[in-house]
Amino acid sequence: MKCLLIASESAEVLFHWSDREYRLSIQEKYGASQEEGQGLPAFEDILSTLFAPIIISCSTLEDSYTSFTTENNHIYVLHQFDECLYIAVNGDGEEKEDDLRRKLYVLRKMIEVMFGMVTLSGNLLRRELRPQDTEQRTRLWTYLQGLLDTYSVLRENDQSFLVEAVERLIHPQLCELCIEFLERRLVQQLNSSVERAGEEVLHAFVLVHTKLLAFYSSRNASILTPSDLLALIVMAQNMYPSHIELDDTSPEDVESTSGSGPESFYTPEPSPSSRGSSGSEKAGRGETPVFEFVDPEIQMAEDSLHTLEINPPDSASPRRVFLEVSHKDGLYPMIPHSMYCLSLWPGITLVLLTKIPTSSVAMSVYKYLEDFDKLEKRLHEGHGGPASARSPLNMQDIRTKMDKFIKALGPSDLQSAQLQKVWTEFKNRAFAKGGPGFSKELIPWCKNMKTQLCGVYRQCFLIDSVSADVSQRLSSGLQERAQTMVREKLMDWKDFLLVKSKRNITMVSYLEDFPGLVHFICVDRSTGQMIAPSLSITERTTSELGKGPVANYIKNKVWALVRTTRRYLQKGYSTVTLRDGDFYFCYFLWFENETGYKLQPVDIPVLPDDSPPIGMLACDYYKRLLRYYSKNHKGETVKCYELLTVHLGVIPTEIILQHCRQLASKLWEPSRNLLL
Amino acid sequence: MAEVKPPDSRRCSYFFLYDGSKVRGEGDPTRDGICYFYPEETPLDKQDLLCGQLAGVGRCVSELSSSAVRTLRLRRCKFAIRMKEDLFWALGCSMEVPTVSVRELLDHLIDLFCFYNGSVRQSYQLNSKESLAAEWARCLAHVLSGPSELHCIFQSVRTVDLTNVDPLLLLKAALILQACQRCPLVLAGCVLFRGRVVSTQMPPQLTTKVMVHESDTYSKTQRSSGASTPSADGGPVSSTAVFLTPSELQFLQAAPVDKTSRSRFTPEKDASPKKTRLSRTLSDTPSLESESSRPTSCQSPEKAPFSPSMSGSEDSVFSPAPSQSAAGSPYPSPLSPVRLFSNGGNSYETVEGALDESHYHSFYSSEDGVSQIHSEGDGSAFEENLCLNGGASGGGATCGTTPEPRGADCGGDPLRDDTTAAGDVGVCSRKAEGHKAEMRQPPPGSCAFDSLEESPLIPMTLYTHRVNSLVLALLVEPCFMSDTASMEEVNHSSLASLNGLEAHLRAVSSAAPGAAGPYLFAHYDYIQSTLTTNVSGRPGGAPEHPFVRATSLLHSHFFDTETLQEAIIRSAGTAVYGTRSVAQETYFQQHGASMRNSGIPNQQDSAFSLPSKARHRLLKHGVNLL
Repeated sequence: MKCLLIASESAEVLFHWSDREYRLSIQEKYGASQEEGQGLPAFEDILSTLFAPIIISCSTLEDSYTSFTTENNHIYVLHQFDECLYIAVNGDGEEKEDDLRRKLYVLRKMIEVMFGMVTLSGNLLRRELRPQDTEQRTRLWTYLQGLLDTYSVLRENDQSFLVEAVERLIHPQLCELCIEFLERRLVQQLNSSVERAGEEVLHAFVLVHTKLLAFYSSRNASILTPSDLLALIVMAQNMYPSHIELDDTSPEDVESTSGSGPESFYTPEPSPSSRGSSGSEKAGRGETPVFEFVDPEIQMAEDSLHTLEINPPDSASPRRVFLEVSHKDGLYPMIPHSMYCLSLWPGITLVLLTKIPTSSVAMSVYKYLEDFDKLEKRLHEGHGGPASARSPLNMQDIRTKMDKFIKALGPSDLQSAQLQKVWTEFKNRAFAKGGPGFSKELIPWCKNMKTQLCGVYRQCFLIDSVSADVSQRLSSGLQERAQTMVREKLMDWKDFLLVKSKRNITMVSYLEDFPGLVHFICVDRSTGQMIAPSLSITERTTSELGKGPVANYIKNKVWALVRTTRRYLQKGYSTVTLRDGDFYFCYFLWFENETGYKLQPVDIPVLPDDSPPIGMLACDYYKRLLRYYSKNHKGETVKCYELLTVHLGVIPTEIILQHCRQLASKLWEPSRNLLL
Repeated sequence: MAEVKPPDSRRCSYFFLYDGSKVRGEGDPTRDGICYFYPEETPLDKQDLLCGQLAGVGRCVSELSSSAVRTLRLRRCKFAIRMKEDLFWALGCSMEVPTVSVRELLDHLIDLFCFYNGSVRQSYQLNSKESLAAEWARCLAHVLSGPSELHCIFQSVRTVDLTNVDPLLLLKAALILQACQRCPLVLAGCVLFRGRVVSTQMPPQLTTKVMVHESDTYSKTQRSSGASTPSADGGPVSSTAVFLTPSELQFLQAAPVDKTSRSRFTPEKDASPKKTRLSRTLSDTPSLESESSRPTSCQSPEKAPFSPSMSGSEDSVFSPAPSQSAAGSPYPSPLSPVRLFSNGGNSYETVEGALDESHYHSFYSSEDGVSQIHSEGDGSAFEENLCLNGGASGGGATCGTTPEPRGADCGGDPLRDDTTAAGDVGVCSRKAEGHKAEMRQPPPGSCAFDSLEESPLIPMTLYTHRVNSLVLALLVEPCFMSDTASMEEVNHSSLASLNGLEAHLRAVSSAAPGAAGPYLFAHYDYIQSTLTTNVSGRPGGAPEHPFVRATSLLHSHFFDTETLQEAIIRSAGTAVYGTRSVAQETYFQQHGASMRNSGIPNQQDSAFSLPSKARHRLLKHGVNLL
């Protein structure tokens, strides 16, 4: 009984995902209220009808809804992201409120990775998420639903997705060997090839299931954030799922069933806009009627018709992903990259991330978006103009740059022409003598400029990537060569890696030093990495905890513990110990400097209940926490660690604390490998 | 009653009752459906918006899930919701109050309203919206009137400070109640002093409801059904109509009151008096009857304690007509579930002795008896016995008493269930609730949902007798008020004792409370619904806020996780320890703990010594964590 949907303010369903039970129950409810003999309409329309009162009420009330619960323990969680309302429902008790909220944020993250800055324009995103063409829509929704399914499976079974940190395979020699190979051989060769069509490999990494074997970033690449890396792992897993039930079969079996090629492959398609509908929605959304703007002039340019022809899914075509880039002059979110996901063997995947030649356009677009956003805010506040506030906007500078930018785009493109038109209008109003100048009347034009910029961005990075001919990517030959090279290199290690990924580290190695310790998870939040003994509970494997009810019980306890400690962390408590049944649980969060010196704790901010979930995938809580902490430790690299332990309840508390202390100091020491 | 402040806006932001049946057509304005809205000064437009939207969304969600909405949260406010047919209640509190507590507050609020007004639907048919609005306001003020924020988290009955009161006085109060109960028309009662419970025979939820009336007595308006009648001796006696749920009534009737002894003419005499410490203590009193004790039914549960044949006893003291028995009436009702309040820790000991003694002492319910007892002052012996008495709710099971049929004048008793011996149920339901962990079952006798279910409410009368700050409140059959003989009997049997008790309590309560230690604690007893704490809730109690916040979080956690036994949570500045058992929850924070720790695991961290500190410190508050 699970469901998730995205709705526009007019109760149009922009995306939905649900399991069979929920679909049946909803159809039954809808059917009961309808005349007999009529076929059921599309599921999305049923959802839209039934949820409409909630969706409409959300936009009526000033303080928006965050959740509902019912007597029979159904939970509804709602969150408004810009102009889209996200609703998650659970009716089977398997998910709690924070799980649902997390799911909403994760979906939002996935949409950002897929659509980039298009998400900044509600109108464009709406059309992107709900293409008019039903076939396209089905394909997009199926893909997104697949991502959500994959994420749900990972979150329920994989400790690294439980705590939202990347797990590395602990094998230093092999790891080093592999990184060296990626650097010296693979990336070098790829980037010097003529077949790369202007793309440049920035990051290359090898995944064994969800665990990272080796990660290499080229010298001029910015750091790939843990959030983005986790999202990419979900995408890779979605493309080449590691079937849990197959996990324990012998490698030979797996090879014979290696039919898990690329799944349905989707690339977003443009959709023709209908003038009437988008115009009226704009009117409906106008914040203040005074500035309502229903001029057909601001319509987006019609997408050229040829883009409607869908390219057949092509395994060699990369996936467009939008990732954060830290440049010397600041952070740029949602900069386009191409992602090549190459399966080496079932369960082992090589991922290449390339920079595309036009990515500088995205940076410019982002800068202008920021400028217009700032300007709009100031006009709203009524501070007069760009010059008044603390950091004055240099509008003249923006004007010059914008002129150049538009010139560089070239008028050939319909969308750029549209941008130019709006820009000219804007200039007429803002800069002309005797014109209105920088007043509130300019606000609709700021909005319009932002929409047009998003439109250009969409044209460049979403549509062109589909319509452009095959040459604009690493050639398939080159991809194959890369695949073969890495395959050859890892051939001898393959079986070992597959087993190792299931038994990365084991509790056995700890039992002697830590009697009574049942399980632990240690996370380095500054790098977004975690270590934990394997805890795989499948039909065919037996973990050290045995299998069946006990192992499952402990797994459930660990999952519940993570949820609980997050709740306390959200409310400012960084140490938690719990005596629960026959177990004793501990949680610690602390800060160190680079040399391992333990730093003083500070009062951690207390967040409201509906704040973004604590984690790294959807919203990097720890990044903000570190930034908050670093305010008082200027010039020092601050690291943040977390430790969770599960002990038998009969162990005296002093011993448990002693264990925790030892684990905390040993795990991240350089010599830790001796222990593992 | 002490302070009944207007509801604290920190705790309650909104409360409303919305009747959807009044807004059926397209043109019907939303405000027609608004039965009551708090804060009353809210602009009508805003009232319309909130009621309309919340009720609409509530209906939509409950249709989607085929189940009524229970909570609804906005970004800055959380609502507990009750839906019943077209009626829609919402109580909105600040985000810091645990969700489970908001729900309990709302349930309690509705129950309270129904207790004094009968079913909601019906009362709106009979009375004007305005007069009922005043009723809601009154109930709301009471529900939210706790002195500190902790009282919003834990729904508790406020009792006299037990560490200050001489246990003999508590026993005295219990005896007064038992004496009153001898009248067959009296169901149960409680003794209140300055708005706090001294002794009660009712389940905590019912006691709380009764206390509301008491606190309003001075400013009480004459209700249609209840009229003030000046009592014979001038003491202000009043009564009001109240409504019990079937389960509440069942609970009261199932209580092992020895009804045989109430049905008149059953003086008992037993050849084998049981000597106990207490009886020895008091054996020097000049009473002739000190040796004559009665077997308690718990000693011989299989047979009726007193056979009518014994009524022919020549013992002159036992007068056959209860109307004649004034002060010093020797009819005890030894097994009535007297609830004396003690901290749960030491309240679970054997019961039999106490029962013996309590009925023994009902011989001394005359005025001179009081002074006797008081002058004796053998506190230690009594303390223990009182605790036993307090534990009667839990220990009643050991007696295995089956309730006797009620007197014919009170009608049949179809709801009585032999298996539901009072205290037994109290404990078991708690346990069952722990296992279900779905929703906290209200203890028997409260049955939060009863008032909304189809089962009709049973009209009863609440009789109160005030002596200065002391109030005797009795739940009586409606016919009691017209039965002059019964009234006189109750009045006469209690008045003198009440006067004496009042004088003593007044003397005791003037003692200053002990200074708070360098720590904060809160101890909640599930069974008796009592909260013991040194959190004052005084304005400017800012240092207490972190403790309240932590307690709120931990309480929610305990509620959600049935297997959780104890927890320590720690931020940079505060460490709070929480522990719970089947019967209680305790929270403890030490002031001024050194915070040299850096957040890493460390045995020297003062947070981890909290459990032993709590055990040590709280002993003197009567909280036993061992």
